[in-house]
Amino acid sequence: MTKRFLTAEDVRRLGGPEILLEAETVVTPQAAEAAATAGVRLIGPAGAYAPPVPDRGPDAARAKASLPMLPEPSATDGVGLVVTVVGRNRPGVLAEITAALASHECDVADISQRNVGGYFHTVFTCAVPPGRDFGSIKDSLQCLGGEGDYVVRVMHESVFRFMHRV
Amino acid sequence: MPFTDHEILETVRMFELETFDIRTTTLGINLLDCADPDLESSCEKVYAKIVHHGRNLVEMAGGIEADLGIPIINKRVATTPMALVAAASGSKDLVPFARAMDAAAAEIGIDYIGGFTAYVHKGYSNADHALVESIPEALASTARVCSSVSLATTKAGINMDAVSHFSKVVLETARLTASEGGLGCAKLVCFSNPVEDNPFIAGAHIGIGEPETVLNVGVSGPGVVRSALERLGPEADLLAVAETIKRTAFKITRMGELVGREAARRMGTVFGIVDVSLAPTPAVGDSVADILELIGVERTGAPGTTAALALLTDAVKKGGAMASSSVGGLSGAFIPVSEDAGMIRAVEEGALSLAKLEAMTTVCSVGLDMVAVPGNTSQATLAGIIADEMAIGMVNQKTTAVRAIPVPGKGPGETHDWGGLLGTAIVQDPGRFGSEVFHSRGGRIPAPLQSYRN
Repeated sequence: MTKRFLTAEDVRRLGGPEILLEAETVVTPQAAEAAATAGVRLIGPAGAYAPPVPDRGPDAARAKASLPMLPEPSATDGVGLVVTVVGRNRPGVLAEITAALASHECDVADISQRNVGGYFHTVFTCAVPPGRDFGSIKDSLQCLGGEGDYVVRVMHESVFRFMHRV
Repeated sequence: MPFTDHEILETVRMFELETFDIRTTTLGINLLDCADPDLESSCEKVYAKIVHHGRNLVEMAGGIEADLGIPIINKRVATTPMALVAAASGSKDLVPFARAMDAAAAEIGIDYIGGFTAYVHKGYSNADHALVESIPEALASTARVCSSVSLATTKAGINMDAVSHFSKVVLETARLTASEGGLGCAKLVCFSNPVEDNPFIAGAHIGIGEPETVLNVGVSGPGVVRSALERLGPEADLLAVAETIKRTAFKITRMGELVGREAARRMGTVFGIVDVSLAPTPAVGDSVADILELIGVERTGAPGTTAALALLTDAVKKGGAMASSSVGGLSGAFIPVSEDAGMIRAVEEGALSLAKLEAMTTVCSVGLDMVAVPGNTSQATLAGIIADEMAIGMVNQKTTAVRAIPVPGKGPGETHDWGGLLGTAIVQDPGRFGSEVFHSRGGRIPAPLQSYRN
């Protein structure tokens, strides 16, 4: 039978040793419990029931196709992440940051640094090798420094691209 | 072209120092297929469908935060107006639907879910009436459910019977949540000309013209606009002020566009809209009142405030419209009194009255929002406040709303702290004159001439 949902009431009404479900049917938790209690097996097209992939509706496929067609500000070649470091100046800061970047095989495309009084800010733009997980690079950089020393912030270059390029 | 230091530091400063964030990613879920003649089965379906679609919403938003390095504060769900879903059940008590929504929201790890909603601007269906009657109990017995009711539109006029009914519901909700300072009313709003793709709580729901599922994004950033105006200084003329706000709004909205595209892609659904609304929080600097004062009024509420707010709202919309083809929702500037430290200060110092606030709502993007009124406000007076606001929306073909909180046991000038994002309220004085006869007439205020556009 074609049903979008199987409820506990359906289970009680249909009964039997098993209920055959369509691929897209969602079984409510109460129905699953009622079936387990009554010893009714719920069978999907591929064996025991497993929740289907959510059907996001008829517009979703079109949306998926059209998203890549939306014009985007073009990517800046070779840049994947932007690292900004702000803090109190001391020897070794640059070395710590670049060592962390090197450990992730990030290629530094551009560096700029300014010193004002005892403080500095440094901006790195880096290329990330394909397949690298942005999140783990970010985490390992952002845990460098600390209070009273320096603070690192890592953002994806698309943030800057969307904000500053049309 | 590589980015300049100036560009990079400007963006980093927005996030680090100016409290800029993506305020919400809201997943809209159509629940019409959850209708069932059996109440229990219908509630089961509501729960199951919200959980089925929303299960990875929080994880998805967290993934985007991690991958882009920008904060996404809230993850929420908006549903089809529940009165439509519940109609088939024939039940007079629709609280079980609110409980199902609440349980589903808890299961997927979100703090609020919007959609305990009815459209009654021209009249009630049986289910609409049951829903409105169920609101006080629904809000008092759940933590996450938000409710909204459409009372007026430009096309239909104002349903004054519903305005009166809604006022009774607000007072009853305050009574049932008296131990928390009437907090239930913070989750309850009424609209004139509601938008059907609003991602912001408490009015979030998705209308019947919306897709099966849709991902909407709300961006905020009063702090960014404030800083830009601080840098501009008091010498610049108003054209320069408008241009500065517009450029800032453009940049803010671009972040919404980026996150909206990415979130829709990851959820495998439709990217609906970016709502670019300057939505204040009680955090220092995150204030719309501060912006108005930087534009040049001594305190929010002083003469000139409405004009300054008109400039602000319009510039935000224009900047947003250039930045995204998907700008929607309410887009503009919110003026929720208790949630904005600058607004509270203005009330405290006697600069901002309820009357001035009402004037400001003619040009802001929503309406009377998070306004505390005395706990003993009569139904007729509250209905009068709501009717005034509905009339502003109806005549000006704009969305207006009222989220008023009668604070039990408190009178004009007294304060109540709800804590967290809801902030501190000073109870406003609605005045000593009533509108009993107007209220008791009932009926409908007919649609204005400007509605006849066919």
